[in-house]
Amino acid sequence: MSKRNLKAVTLTLLALILLIAGCANAGGNGSQQGSKNTTSGSDGGDQQEEYVTIRVFKSHMGVGSIPDRDNPHVQYVAQETGVIYELVTVPPGSEASEYINLMLASDDVPDILRPIGGVEQTLIQQGGAVALDDLLPVYAPHVWESIPQEAWDVVRSASDDGKIYYVPKVYLIPERAALLRKDWLDKVNMDLPTTTEEYKEMLRAFRDQDPNGNGKPDELPTTGREGGKWMDHLFAMFGVAMWEGVPEWDIYEGEIQYAGVTKNMRAAIQFIRELYEEKLLDNETFLNKGDVWTAKINNNLVGSWYHLPANLRDRYTAMLQTAPDAYVIGMPLPKAEGFEGYITQKSMGEPEWIIPKSSEDKAPYALKLLDFFYNPDYFEFGRFGIEGMHHEVVDGKKVLLPADDNRPLALGMRNLTTQEDMDLRIEQTFPEEMQQIVKDIFEVSKADARRIAGDGLPSTVYAGFPDIQSHKMFQEYLTKIVIGEWPIEKFDEFVERWYASGGAEVTKRVQEWYAKMSK
Amino acid sequence: MKLSASEKLFQIFNYVILTIAASTMLFPFLHLLAMSFSSPVAADSKEVFLWPVGFTFGTWEHILQNRGLWQSFGITIWVTVIGTLFSMILSVLTAYPLSRQEFLVRKQVMLFIVITMIFNAPLIPFFLTVRELGMMNTLWSLIIPGAISTYNMIIIRTFFMGLPKELDDSAKIDGCNEFRVLFQIFLPLSKPVLATISLFYAVGYWNIFQRAVLFLRNQELWPLQMKLRAYLTSPEELAQVNLFLGDYDFNTTTLKAATIIFATVPILLVYPYLQKYFVKGSMLGSLKE
Amino acid sequence: MILPGIIFYIVFKYIPLAGSVIAFQNYQILKGIMNSPWVWFDNFKFIFTYQDFYYVLRNTAIIATYKLIFQFPAPIILALLFNEVRLMFPKRTLQSLFYLPHFLSWVIVGGIVFEVLSSQGIVNTIRNWMGFEPILYMQEERYFRGIVILSGIWKEIGWGTIVYLAAIAGINPSLYEAAVMDGANRWKQTLYITLPSIFPTILVLFLLNIGNFLELGFEQIYNLLTPMTYSVGDIIETYVYRAGILQGQFSVTTAIGIFQSVIGFILLWIFNRLANKTGEGLW
Repeated sequence: MSKRNLKAVTLTLLALILLIAGCANAGGNGSQQGSKNTTSGSDGGDQQEEYVTIRVFKSHMGVGSIPDRDNPHVQYVAQETGVIYELVTVPPGSEASEYINLMLASDDVPDILRPIGGVEQTLIQQGGAVALDDLLPVYAPHVWESIPQEAWDVVRSASDDGKIYYVPKVYLIPERAALLRKDWLDKVNMDLPTTTEEYKEMLRAFRDQDPNGNGKPDELPTTGREGGKWMDHLFAMFGVAMWEGVPEWDIYEGEIQYAGVTKNMRAAIQFIRELYEEKLLDNETFLNKGDVWTAKINNNLVGSWYHLPANLRDRYTAMLQTAPDAYVIGMPLPKAEGFEGYITQKSMGEPEWIIPKSSEDKAPYALKLLDFFYNPDYFEFGRFGIEGMHHEVVDGKKVLLPADDNRPLALGMRNLTTQEDMDLRIEQTFPEEMQQIVKDIFEVSKADARRIAGDGLPSTVYAGFPDIQSHKMFQEYLTKIVIGEWPIEKFDEFVERWYASGGAEVTKRVQEWYAKMSK
Repeated sequence: MKLSASEKLFQIFNYVILTIAASTMLFPFLHLLAMSFSSPVAADSKEVFLWPVGFTFGTWEHILQNRGLWQSFGITIWVTVIGTLFSMILSVLTAYPLSRQEFLVRKQVMLFIVITMIFNAPLIPFFLTVRELGMMNTLWSLIIPGAISTYNMIIIRTFFMGLPKELDDSAKIDGCNEFRVLFQIFLPLSKPVLATISLFYAVGYWNIFQRAVLFLRNQELWPLQMKLRAYLTSPEELAQVNLFLGDYDFNTTTLKAATIIFATVPILLVYPYLQKYFVKGSMLGSLKE
Repeated sequence: MILPGIIFYIVFKYIPLAGSVIAFQNYQILKGIMNSPWVWFDNFKFIFTYQDFYYVLRNTAIIATYKLIFQFPAPIILALLFNEVRLMFPKRTLQSLFYLPHFLSWVIVGGIVFEVLSSQGIVNTIRNWMGFEPILYMQEERYFRGIVILSGIWKEIGWGTIVYLAAIAGINPSLYEAAVMDGANRWKQTLYITLPSIFPTILVLFLLNIGNFLELGFEQIYNLLTPMTYSVGDIIETYVYRAGILQGQFSVTTAIGIFQSVIGFILLWIFNRLANKTGEGLW
């Protein structure tokens, strides 16, 4: 055999060998897949001491390895509840909703999952979810009691038969706030603005008087992010229900309506347009990608913005680098003539945990597991996990260890944030000097915050109208009117078109839902 | 050979344009490299351009110390090598008959194959098919379902079609069967196209992500791109989970930059090795006219 | 010999392709394909009556045509330019640099585009020197398509030359020697030897591309689009993203996919017949 032929044959043989090895591997893994099915019997009957295994699906868990059954965290939970949890999560950076849909399509369904992308409605409507009304008080009393009845009512309204099909996320304090650079305010010798006119004056001062002291007219009095996101404070002054750049649903003129088509919105857009024209609003606000926007704030270019106070730490640290007297406060909303302003709060009704019908017989165990995390006796464990693995003790205080590939993830199932929770979180994650700043900001935003009527609106109201759900038309009109390409009169055209292209139908559905809810 | 004045001018012009264009291509990488060696604060404040600000090894230390990262690196190399081999063999075996006019159903088979390139199956049926074949959670799920890229295979076929008919005629006269013609005559003459398509497949396997997400539940099997995406997710989402106290000389921004470099550089080094196959006149001496 | 290949195609392409029937159903995930109700052409009706369908289709077709006219020939021209570079070292270095951007994802390249075109970016800085006011390019409809094409060329031109360079490498040098003896200069050589020799390659790549005419690829447009440029930039894929990912409408998105494929196939059929007349088509 010639040399070349020999090479070819060896290569082919090599490939075959690897192929066979791979198949053997596949066979081995195949049987591992099978074992999952054998342990799902509800009388335990699997390893060790009659624990029941519950597969929990939770996305966006960040970096870390999946804990196995011998992991101390898992073991501790098992001892206290009789349930071994098996964490299933989506690889970070990939589409969670696609993943869940595939799991459902291939009958590889977890026992309890956190829905993304409206999956909960898919399950509810196709009869794939377990009704929890009777099970909750019995198996998850802490969950049942710590979540306010209001929230449970919202959950009931999300299904046609009025049953509770999921456990909601509850966030009792406002997540977001209007933030302001107090040191800038002092530098231009002004007081906190109380009206929108005064706000404009303040912004003009920011623009012209060089409060960041570097001799360059580079200040951006206020700014936001692409798509009109994170400029909510400008809308809030006019009483427009807004969440991260998209209009929400609230009561206007006695009825629940889309905030995007109200008089308030028209006035807000007019105002924002004026700001843009005078360069009081960063003219590139609609082009700012996430990192660009953060950099502008960090580099002491921005005076007034809107964000989550709980995430202030890194920004503030960066600001201090070049502006040692930087100080951030919460800005009370200036009043707009003829409107009642407020900061939008969405506190309850967003689905957090749902149990698929296919795991109905294990539901009591899944709920027991959930209840563990809502039990105050275990809060500290839920927060800090196992020493050495999830936290370490520094100067007598527990400190969370940074996320890492090799560090096992710890399941946490409680998504209920009260004032106490937030205070604790601030104390744990902010250095001493900053804690008061953040707490003060929350005080201000709490005073201005209001729960909107559309809190907990099920996503099914948008079914069949993807463009209404994505607020595409709104964004188009908002941006073009603000940058001056279109006159404000175009807004009326927007309202007409919105209603005509499905907005009317969606509004009807929302109003029906709201009526059902308020009964 | 003497060049005329206009030809010299053209040469200079050519070099200048190409160099300027090539530099623009280089800048983003230099920027990323600089970011990976910069301090987190500088990186977030966009102070870094082509040179590090607040030089630190912190980011790279963190990444290179990560044992899981090296494991996934190894996996990616395995998948790339085996996958490329597998794909090349399958592609060549498919391309050769399709390039020979003696293969009577040639046109029909081509149509059969081209249709699959245009009509794509939806995700769920594809997923279910692979699952039914028992390939879930194995590295083979990354290789077998995508083994032949029709695009690549057709390029090989085109090249084969360009080889003169006299070659296989004379070989057959000497008593070769089809396999020998393919392996002993065609392949050696096809070095440029084999190098090119191997590169294409290799890059494809190296960057594999979509299929890995779908089929690999076991974290031990994750290829490089999956591990790296973990660092690239939005800080906003991770804020809930990852706030911690302490002085770290890296953050998500610098990690992002470093991971891109880490993921890209190895495959970039493959091309220079393949360039030697792009040698002119590889056909020379094959035909005894 | 070809049997393994055929098996591959049947198993991994045709069997899943059968799943495309969900385009004719109202696919319910929990019921599966077998038990979901059939709605026949309702999904297609839904698509065609979508009020913005005309715009989305128009944008897709226009951008696709621009790509064909500008982005397709670009690597060919570059390959020819590379061919003229005499010295080995610069040639190899330049080539290696040119294909770097191919490895960057559109998330990154999108960010780069935004920065370069921002008020502090290079383009506006130069305009400033020349005494002009800055233009916020990414907000203006009239620049969007051009930016899409230019950024697409920048990113893929280097990578695209690889196939053509391989083809050029296969040209018999004696052809060139003969031409030189006849007194042809480089330009004539390129025109009468290089180009015709790589014509089969060009033809094949053209055919391979045209089959995917309406499939522009989500990543690029998604990362360059802003609400201000929706009217010129929203394409089929971005619509599918909103309808599919956000609303889980698998049947509708599959139907759209079939529509794109059918158009692509028709185009391919037409051009393949033309190709068979002048050269060799795919079948």
